[in-house]
Amino acid sequence: MQHVLIFKTNIATPEARSKIAPVLDQQPFIDQWTVDMEDVDCVLRVVAAEPVPDRIIALINASAYECAELED
Amino acid sequence: MRYRDENKIQAIRESAIEMVANDGLENFGINRLAKAAGVSPATIYIYYKDKEDLLTSISIEEALKMTRATLKGFDPEMGFKEGLWVQWKNRAAFALDNHQSANFFEQLRNSAYKDKMLETITLEFRQAMGSYVHNAVKRGEINEMPLEVYWSVAFAPLYSLIKFHNEGQSLDGRKFKFSEKVMKQTFDCVIKGLMK
Repeated sequence: MQHVLIFKTNIATPEARSKIAPVLDQQPFIDQWTVDMEDVDCVLRVVAAEPVPDRIIALINASAYECAELED
Repeated sequence: MRYRDENKIQAIRESAIEMVANDGLENFGINRLAKAAGVSPATIYIYYKDKEDLLTSISIEEALKMTRATLKGFDPEMGFKEGLWVQWKNRAAFALDNHQSANFFEQLRNSAYKDKMLETITLEFRQAMGSYVHNAVKRGEINEMPLEVYWSVAFAPLYSLIKFHNEGQSLDGRKFKFSEKVMKQTFDCVIKGLMK
């Protein structure tokens, strides 16, 4: 079962994206992820095997970027 | 846990088509779309990665919808006249029921999304159309001619009527309403022009 998790971030530039890329790529529970840098909320979209938004937030925060779950 | 909500997807798709059809691609964005569709931006991101992903996927779906509508009840083995009439009726019905869809395609025509859209149309559609014309030539019903010549005679007159209808007027501001009668009259002229 795949879970789509949506976050508001401040990953606004390709440089910022390249900093979080290795961190997210390393996680075995993450199937794919994208950042929409065109969007005001720089939406991070993660397709994961587990519904664990808190772990994603912790990973992004650890890279010194903001990350909060975007509510429906 | 999130489930796929078909009603929301439908609302997103319809609003996206309408927004692009009316305002073009330049001002199109996920946040504006969310407002128009009455969903949150997060909901849109559940289904689509970004604007590109959304527009690509919608244009492919619309192209498929149009292709299927156009090929409904159509068989490439049909006689030329019968087949062309089925085409006219299908194309007219689709264009009149999906006015926004036509404008949406028009906006995408000069964009990077065009290729994906054309790719989708190509497979099913071009084969059916190609063998239909080929059969008609083989049976001696029509002459062989360049595609552009064929299309300009076979279909452009129909789209011209539809354009008049959508604008509510034809030449010099004359009021115009599309009808099966006017379509048949135009069709008969087209058939005379194309068939040997």
